[in-house]
Formats: sequence, C-alpha cells, structure tokens
Amino acid sequence: MAKNKEGAVMTKMTWKNAMKRDWQLYLLLLFPLAMVVIFNYAAYPGLRMVFMDYNPVKGYAGSKWVGLDTFKKIFRDADFIRALKSSIVFNLLDLLVGFPTPIILALILNELRYPRFKKVTQTILYLPHFLSWAIIGSVAYTMFRPTSGLVNIFLMNIGVIEQGIPFLTEKWHWAVTYLMIGVWQGMGWGTIIYLAAITGISGDLYEAAMIDGANRWERMWHITLPGIKGTVVTLLIMNLGRVMGSNLERLTVFGNTQVKDFQYQLAVYIYNKGLQSGKYSMATAVNLFQSLVGLVLVLLSDKIAKLLGEEGLL
Amino acid sequence: MKKTYLQRLFAMTLASAMIMGTLSGCGNNATETDSTQTTDNASGTGTTDNTSGNTGTDAAGATDSASGQESGAVGMEGWEPFAENVTLTIPVYDRGAAGVPDVTNNYWTKWIQENFGDVYNITVEFEPITRTDVLTSYNMLATVGELPTILMEYDFDKLAEWGDKGYLIEYDLDEFARIAPTYYERMVELDQIKYTELNGSRYFVLAERPYFNATYTSITWYRQDWLEELGYTEWPATWDEQKEIYQRLIDEGYCQYPLGGEMINGVGSDKNYEFRTYPQDELEWAMYGDYQIPALSTDAQREWLRRENEKYNLGFFNPEYYVRDAETNKADFVSGNMFQLWGYTSANVDFLTAFYEQNPDGKIGMFITKDAVVDEKYGSVNAFRPWDPFGMMIGFSSQATEDEVKAAMMYMEWMTQEDVLFTMQWGVEGKNFEYGEDGNPVSLAEADPEYTQGFSNSKDYWCVTIESRSLGSVEADMAAVAPAGLPVDYTQDIIDNYYGLVKVYEKGYANSDCKFAVVIKASSELQQSLCELYAEYRDQLVTCPPDQFDALYDELSQKYLDAGYQEVVDERREAYEAGYTTKLE
Repeated sequence: MAKNKEGAVMTKMTWKNAMKRDWQLYLLLLFPLAMVVIFNYAAYPGLRMVFMDYNPVKGYAGSKWVGLDTFKKIFRDADFIRALKSSIVFNLLDLLVGFPTPIILALILNELRYPRFKKVTQTILYLPHFLSWAIIGSVAYTMFRPTSGLVNIFLMNIGVIEQGIPFLTEKWHWAVTYLMIGVWQGMGWGTIIYLAAITGISGDLYEAAMIDGANRWERMWHITLPGIKGTVVTLLIMNLGRVMGSNLERLTVFGNTQVKDFQYQLAVYIYNKGLQSGKYSMATAVNLFQSLVGLVLVLLSDKIAKLLGEEGLL
Repeated sequence: MKKTYLQRLFAMTLASAMIMGTLSGCGNNATETDSTQTTDNASGTGTTDNTSGNTGTDAAGATDSASGQESGAVGMEGWEPFAENVTLTIPVYDRGAAGVPDVTNNYWTKWIQENFGDVYNITVEFEPITRTDVLTSYNMLATVGELPTILMEYDFDKLAEWGDKGYLIEYDLDEFARIAPTYYERMVELDQIKYTELNGSRYFVLAERPYFNATYTSITWYRQDWLEELGYTEWPATWDEQKEIYQRLIDEGYCQYPLGGEMINGVGSDKNYEFRTYPQDELEWAMYGDYQIPALSTDAQREWLRRENEKYNLGFFNPEYYVRDAETNKADFVSGNMFQLWGYTSANVDFLTAFYEQNPDGKIGMFITKDAVVDEKYGSVNAFRPWDPFGMMIGFSSQATEDEVKAAMMYMEWMTQEDVLFTMQWGVEGKNFEYGEDGNPVSLAEADPEYTQGFSNSKDYWCVTIESRSLGSVEADMAAVAPAGLPVDYTQDIIDNYYGLVKVYEKGYANSDCKFAVVIKASSELQQSLCELYAEYRDQLVTCPPDQFDALYDELSQKYLDAGYQEVVDERREAYEAGYTTKLE
C-alpha cells in the first residue's frame, strides 16, 4: 500500500473512485465549467481572423489569408508603439500604487475593534466598486475642472492655490489623478480577499504573541502579513497578467485632447483603429498580442514565485 | 506542495486549447475556403444568395418569387402583399436627444406598421444607429450578419466605404423604377442618377434635398438685447468689429466667455471654407476640399485655426472648452453665460424655448447673411459649404434577401407619397399641427404627448425620401422651420438669411464638395484615425501662444501628413487625374 513521506497510508484515487465519491460536486461544477468553455474558449477558432484580412460580409470562408501581415502592419504603426508604451507604463504604475493599497487597508480594517464602525467603513469603501466609470468620470470632471471644478474652487477660496490645478487637463496631473481615482475605486473591493485570508489565521498565534509582549504593529508584521503571503503572491501573479491590458471605459471617460499622450493606450487603439474602422483582424491581433504577453508574464512570475519558495498559481 | 493529477491535466488542457486556437490559422493560404463559417445570406430565409451581388437581377424574375408586384403594373397600383411575411429593417438615428420618444417603438413606428407593413405583409423594424458613431454601429451589425435592409448616410465617403467592404449590393435601376416610379422619376428630374454609381457599379439611391445650395437651417443665435445695449443695431461683418463686441461683453460684465466653446465632435468640424481662395483651384478642391478629413497642412486650415487661436488667447472661449460638450454650451447660453450659440432651426428649438422661459425679457437674434462679404484685412469671406445636391444616400444590404430589398424599395416609394409624407412630417391635425390663416400647416409648440414626433419632426424616418419639409414656396418652407411658440417670430429672418445665402452661392463662394466615382481606399482606412489625430493637434494649435502658432502648425502638419493624410490626398489626386471626380461648378 502506498505511503507518503510521513508514512501515512494513501488511498489510490482513480477517476472512477473520485466520480463515485463526489459526483454531486462534479455535477455542480459542470455548469460553470460549461460557461467557461462556451464563453472563454469556444471563440478561440475565431482567432484565425488575425491571419486574414477579415471582412464580416465575406466571413471566414471568403476573407483572404494574409499570414502575419496584420502583425507586421501593427508593429510598424507609430500609434501602436505609443499605445503600447502608455499601456505598460500605466499598468505598472497602477500595480505599484494600486496593489499594496488594499493590503494596507485590509490590515487597518482588521485592527478595527468596534464592529459597527468596521462594517460601516467597509461598506463605504466597497461602494465605489459598484459605480460605473461613466458616473465616476462625470463626477471627476465636475470636481476637478481647472476653473469651475469644486476642488479647485475650494482650494482657491481657502487661499491654498491662486490658479486652478489642471487635474484632468494636463497630462502629468492627469496621470496622477487617473491613478489615484483608480486606487480609490478598487481598493475597498480589493480588501475582501485579504480580509478573508486574515480570518483564516489562527487566533492562537495572536494570543501567543500577545503573551510574549508583541504590540499591534509587531503582530501585524510577524503574524498577519506572513499569514496572507500566499494570497498576496497569487494575486500579484494574476495582476501581472494584466500589465498589457487596459480598461476602455476608464480611459474613455477620462479622455480629452490635452492628455492623449498618456490616455492613448491599447484599449483606445483597438477601439479607434480596429472596431470603429471595422478592422477586426487588426483589433483581434492586438488583443491576442496582449493576451499572449499576459500569459507569458503569468507563467514567468509563477516560476519566479516557486523559485523563491512560494506556492505559485499553477 | 505536489500538484494533483487533476490540476495538471486541467492546466494542460487549457494551455493546449489556447495554443491550438492561436496556431490554427498560421500560414498564408489565399485559396482556402471554409463553408462552415460563412455569414453569407445571414437572414437565412432560404431565398437567393445575394451576397455576391445581384448585378443585373432580372426585375420580372424577382417579382415572381414573392408576389410583391403584379407583372406589368408599375408603382403602388401593382403592389400586392407578400405571400410570406417579410421583415424590413430600417435604420434610424438614435441621437440621444431629450424630449423625443423611443426611436424604435413609438406612435409613428406603429403608424408605419399599420399603414404600410400590415397592408403588404411586411414587418417593419427599426434599427437604432448611434448618430455620433455611425460607422461603428454599421460595422457591428455587419459582423453579426444583421445589417438593416437599407444602409443610409449623408456622407458619400461612408457609403463608398460600405460599397467597398461589400455591405451593399448592386441594384437594378429598371427594377427600382418599376417598384418605386415616383421616387425614380424624381431622381431623374433632379439629375441625381449620375451619383448612383461607384467603381462602375450602381449602389445608391438618393433622396431629395430641397434648397441644397443654402444651409438655411444652420443658424447662429446671439443675445440681441446685449448687442443693443452696447449700441449696435446689427451684427457687424468684419472680424475687427466682432472682436470689439466680444471684448466689450467681457469688460462690461455681460459674460465671462462670450463664445463658450465645446470639444470638436467628429467629421465636419473646423470647416475652412471661409479662408479658401476663390475661385477655388479644381485640383486643390478635389484633393483637400472635403470636410470628412480636416485639411490640416493647408493654408486655409492654418488661417481657420489661427482665428480660433486668437479667440482662445483673447479669452473669448472658455479655457476648458475641450472638456465641454454641446449640452453644457446650451445650458450656458440659456443661463446667460454666453453671447452666441450655433444650432439648427426647426419648429422646436429646445434651447430657445428654455431661454425665453427663463428670460422673458431677454431677446435673441439670429445672424443673417445678406450677401457675400469679403473681409479685406484678413482675406476671408463668409463662404460656406452647401449641402450635397441630394439628401440621404441609400444602399441596399448585401445581407438582405431579394424580397427584403423589394420591400425596402416599396417602403421608399410609399414614404414618397404626398399624403403619407405629409402625415409623417406634420403629424395629426390638432395633435401636432393646426392650419394657419394662409392654409398652411403650423406645428404646435407642444404636441399631444401620445403623438410626439421624433427628432426634428420625425425627420429620421422620412429622410429616406426627402431632407426637409416642403410646402412648395420658399416663404412657406422657411416658415415651417421657424421656431414655434416663442415671443419672437423668426420667420422673416430665416427667409432673409436664405436669400442672402443664395446670393453667396451664386457669387461662387459656396461649392459642393468633390465626389469620387471610385473608392479612395486610404480615406476609408485612415479617416477615423486622422480625425482623432486632428482633434488632438487642433487643440494644441488653438491653445498655444500666438507667437508659436506657425511653427507648431508646420510641425503638426508634417506629422499629420506622415500619419496618412498625404496618402489620402495622393489617392484623390490620382482619381481626379483619371477623371473619376465631379467637377467644380
């Protein structure tokens, strides 16, 4: 009979046995699995349009095969290079600023002792996640306009500034505002998974640490953070996979001609040059490129995480 | 931790699926065909496949299949209900305008179904098309095989692009003449047949545009009460005098930014006709003269943008104009924060109504063009772009069946009938209009809510046949577009403005844009991205210090040319030299 390293007896699990024992669970899994297959994988054969000069009226049958011409055209396009650069820079900045924030916030929320205050705070922090970018964008413009925005009017009235700050109408200010609004929108929701991970840490550890004289900060540093390290690594790997992505809604609502240098990212490129002009091959090729780079980054970071002794994602 | 077999298998399956999907199309095989994925004949009715184009379709043969028309009979007299129900999909602009009913389901769409659809066994459906993003709307519909039965647009370039992409089929003019004789004869009378072809194939049917040589519904409104308080009796013609007025309005506290300002919105922005050299050079007109792609790099555009730059730097524009939209502008005008505002006139101009409600003592005037006026100092003239000598350009979908195309032709003919058109344009007596003393209909300022018409007297429904309401005389037609229910009657001003515009036209300062009988591929491919680029560059030029304007204009012009504009104008030149263009009149 097979034994593991500790010498415990292992039962050989076959497909048949697994199905017999847990068929109800597999049955439950069937529906979500089917959804994933249909919506995430069934469209994959359509990817061949990246090697075609795809015309929706002619369909796949009538459209001409062009090999890698679409990719060559894209990589020679100065607008693509511009969009690619902006996408990478802003996604990395998003990661840099946006990734640690929910962790810090989760640690702070975990330390709150008055339950009602904690719940109200959490609810308030979750709410921005449920607002559409269209609403956030229009509110942001109302608040941050240089001369007529509420924030600038307030700052001018209290004498902090003399001239309005172009939060959303000058590219460097825009970059900061764009990132900060992104953090504000996502940080509350991002804490959920960390708070869930924190609840999994044994209370005994905290108790023992308190007996040993550890203060709050030390308990946080030596117990809570190591306790959620696995979750942090997993989410970091998943986020790295999105470094090539961009959110068209978010970019569109904050867009204006003064900030095109930074706002022109891959999602905008795909929409403008691909979908609006009916060039589906081009749009799909860029999207495929984004996905492949994302996949490579996920695999690479997973490997690195494992080399560093972490569990990784796969 | 050791991975279980199940996890590994799952991961491998997903990775394999992605790789296989990605690699499945590698290679360059121009001859490969795939019969399983075709979107041809997407309507799936089982009738003749129209996708490859039904050039030279025999009209008699077409009518036999569906009993839509008795053999030999011409026009509506010969129509019979289809044996099997036919679905006709008509595009209708969704403009997001306030105060109009749902564009796809309202009293008037039901009226069309009852009076046309039910009579001929046709289900008439309306497909909303986003007015500000027409190309994307149609592209999306083409992708899912759901193009409306007819595709229509005002801009020739869009139709040309659709023809080039295979969205349209060729149609038989004889068949059209048989099914829709009233429509056809009008096209002949108006000499429109010459515009129906592209690349030697007949794709387009053209609606009528009365008074196309004068853009009489396009009006600039201004605060006449303010102007009078400043001591002016009428709007001055020269730029220097206008500047003086704007400056005084600011200095004397009437408003902070007299011109308001809004971000430019799509094609047709920044028209430079005012700064062109007249008479125009025909080649230059063909290469740079259209308004679909702004002519950055030309002298006329330079002067147009220099004027905008001057307005900005003098503080006439709101410094945040590039993040303001048309509605914000309207709101500012209504609330007295702006001096002038551009807008189309019709029986119901929302911002004028709102203005007079909020400012009963206020007075708005409209700029009236009296004649061509040359501003010698700046070398400009009050030239304008007249409309095309046709209204909507209409093509038939390559995804439609023969019966659907026939139903579309019937629809266009039916809509052209005098009684039908009158009801669609004016509505129901007592609900939407009343007869005036002269016997002509007069739209009510507030219609019965149940009968509320669509945008601009339901124009987006009847534009398949004509572009504006017409009662047969200039005076009556101008009166029909005068805003109703206001303390001021603008009818005479609109009439005077019309005759003034005609004078400008007759003096050669208003030329219709060049039309190409071949597809300008670079234009189709690059229009969208060039317009986006233009919006970015023009705002840099408008907001830069005046002393940096010329250097920046040269720099950005070169970038614009390199980004594809040069390719566009070169292709236009080739078409012109090959004789595939209209001529400057």
